[in-house]
Amino acid sequence: MALSPAIPSPHTSNTNSVTAKVKTLNMGGGAAPQNTTSTAGQGQELAEQLNDETKKKYVKDKKIGEGTYAIVYLGHLRADPKSKVAIKKIKVNAEYREGLSLDAIREVKFLQELSHPNIPALYSVFSSKNQNLNLVLEYLPLGDLEQLIRDVDGVRYGSADVKAWMGMLGRAVWFCHENFVLHRDIKPNNLLIAADGEVKLADFGLARSFSDPYRVMTHQVITRWYRPPELLFGARYYSGAVDVWSMGTVFAELIIRTPFLAGNSDVHQLELICQFVGTPNDDNWPGVSKLPDYVPFGKDGSQSYPVRGRDFYLQTFSTVGPVGVDLLMSMLSLDPRKRATAREILNHKWWATDPAPTKKEDLPKKGGGGEARMAEDLKRRAGELEDGRGAKVARILDFSGMK
Amino acid sequence: MSKATARGGVPRRPGDEDDICPVCKSSRYLNPNMRFLVNPECYHKMCESCVDRIFSQGPAPCPVAGCNRTLRKQRFRKQTFEDIQVEREVDIRKRVAKVFNRRQDEFETLDDYNDYLEEVETLTFNLLNGVDVSATESKLTEYATQNASIISRNATLEHQESANLEARQAAEREEARLRREAARKEEEDEKKAREEGRKEVLEQLVHGNKPAADVVKESKRVELLKRRRAQQSRALPALPSGTPSANSNPFTFKGLKSTAAPTPEKPYDPFGGLTDERSYYTLQDYYEHPWLDRARTDTHITAGGYTVTEYCARAMFEAFSGLGVFVGEEVAGRGDLPGGNGAGDAVAAAEAAARAEKGVS
Repeated sequence: MALSPAIPSPHTSNTNSVTAKVKTLNMGGGAAPQNTTSTAGQGQELAEQLNDETKKKYVKDKKIGEGTYAIVYLGHLRADPKSKVAIKKIKVNAEYREGLSLDAIREVKFLQELSHPNIPALYSVFSSKNQNLNLVLEYLPLGDLEQLIRDVDGVRYGSADVKAWMGMLGRAVWFCHENFVLHRDIKPNNLLIAADGEVKLADFGLARSFSDPYRVMTHQVITRWYRPPELLFGARYYSGAVDVWSMGTVFAELIIRTPFLAGNSDVHQLELICQFVGTPNDDNWPGVSKLPDYVPFGKDGSQSYPVRGRDFYLQTFSTVGPVGVDLLMSMLSLDPRKRATAREILNHKWWATDPAPTKKEDLPKKGGGGEARMAEDLKRRAGELEDGRGAKVARILDFSGMK
Repeated sequence: MSKATARGGVPRRPGDEDDICPVCKSSRYLNPNMRFLVNPECYHKMCESCVDRIFSQGPAPCPVAGCNRTLRKQRFRKQTFEDIQVEREVDIRKRVAKVFNRRQDEFETLDDYNDYLEEVETLTFNLLNGVDVSATESKLTEYATQNASIISRNATLEHQESANLEARQAAEREEARLRREAARKEEEDEKKAREEGRKEVLEQLVHGNKPAADVVKESKRVELLKRRRAQQSRALPALPSGTPSANSNPFTFKGLKSTAAPTPEKPYDPFGGLTDERSYYTLQDYYEHPWLDRARTDTHITAGGYTVTEYCARAMFEAFSGLGVFVGEEVAGRGDLPGGNGAGDAVAAAEAAARAEKGVS
């Protein structure tokens, strides 16, 4: 810990004192800008000053939720008491004692780059005492899509609403991919609803930018129910197609109002995919057997299912009509290379067919509980579902259940 | 006051003490039908006969000493409020409100509307208390001439709204009356039917030879059927009767926004108005580079969906991404963000935090 000679510290000998510690810490970067000496009266560094300024700009009103990963506050701008923001205070937890949690870094990195109506805005970042990282996010009061899907008795929606929601999700994913970002955790409870009904794709805790050739990526991403088969087979080189599969499962879930492929283990998930989408083999997915964790399904006596035809989808997802079913099928293609891209999805003719998507102001909403819900969604760790809705996502593949 | 009570014979009424015309000094005792009038020009009170006497021949100066305003007979009217100050204030407020009739939905924010109201109130206050009257008056007339069309539009809107409200209230009253009537009739019918049924049962019990229990049972069944039929017949005509109140006047919405003709619906744009066009290059389908060949052909890589195309797109994008960026414009655009914070601040803070984190270890 080098102390900058530019700032005289009265506590050089006693680094345990709080003030000295703060100063010392901020010198961690090494080069202290010389021009800060003009304000050296307070002994503050430029970055610290900026941070203080930002911090003073916002007022935390009340805590609206706390989880293992973060505490969420409702806050507002000091200058404008009517403004509302969500302040997500990332906890310095035991797991990441060495620095910032990876989720927080990813979230800051991507949210500040992506500015789109369907992606929540990150207004500011500041650190508060104890070096807690605070993200100032757009306040999204109306809960998430999962709430609407699950509230079968309280909320009714039709294919026009599904189209509007999928359209907004599609835009968000397309925008991410267009900016070379893989979201890798698309699911209904990451789709938060703004006050005006706009759906926003939140939680970039698992996001990463597109990989360079020959650079491996982890396959332990995306909540299991929405995880594509190539990740379940341990693919280390993948593309935006993984997000498209998640979109497809979300689309299916929106229609049938229950998770389409709700596996309770990774193996079970693959079994469900085999059963409802089709059993992957080298014919319908050339090269699948070369994937690291490939397990041949449909051999050794267990049943092999052919890839489901249009009839099955028409039967199960009849409400969106034949054109919508075509779109869904293109998203749920086993072979990621044959899967539609986000751009192809938005160019699909389903958007132009009747019924037109509902306007965002007229979309069904759930009354009440939004505040608490946003807190729930924010404080959750990426890639996790809350208790009571399936077990926690295993981050390690476990094939011990296989014969 | 003592003078007023001293007038014998005539019982004293509230306000009696003022019942002397300040102009001709005749009192209610002499003229029991005396009415007082005021002119909003100066609000000096005088009796009807004085008004007739002085102003019948055309405009004349006010007879009250020291008040030299020219008054016209036409504008004399009966006083509404006992306090002449209140009368005057109401008149002025009415006049101002007629000109400044902007509505809240014409303003972007509530704050703007409140500012406007405050401005109007200041103007009214000036007129009321004689502060800068000539300047204020000229401001008022200027505003009135400049915004004549808006003022008249808002006036008609207001008129329409009040008419609509009345119509709606009338319709609601009518509906309530019909409902009450229907309920009353229904009750009567039911009573009559019950009476008849009972009579029938008695008749059968007297003349018939069926066992009594069967008769009673049968009658109950019949009655139930009747009632059901009655309900059905009632339900059918009830349907159209419910709708006219909504259909008769299509403009019975309260708080209708005064928008111009609704803009035609734009076709749905799945991309939300954005394009993915790159202005400095066109992306080729294939870029030749030996380094990429294995990533293109190795099934271990491609089977998972990895495509070199995405990599190429990104490489091209990054190669050109500095072009066409004008820092000045971007900085100017930052003002739109809530908190006026650009990404720059966020970066700085994040870096500070990250550095601080490193320091902890």
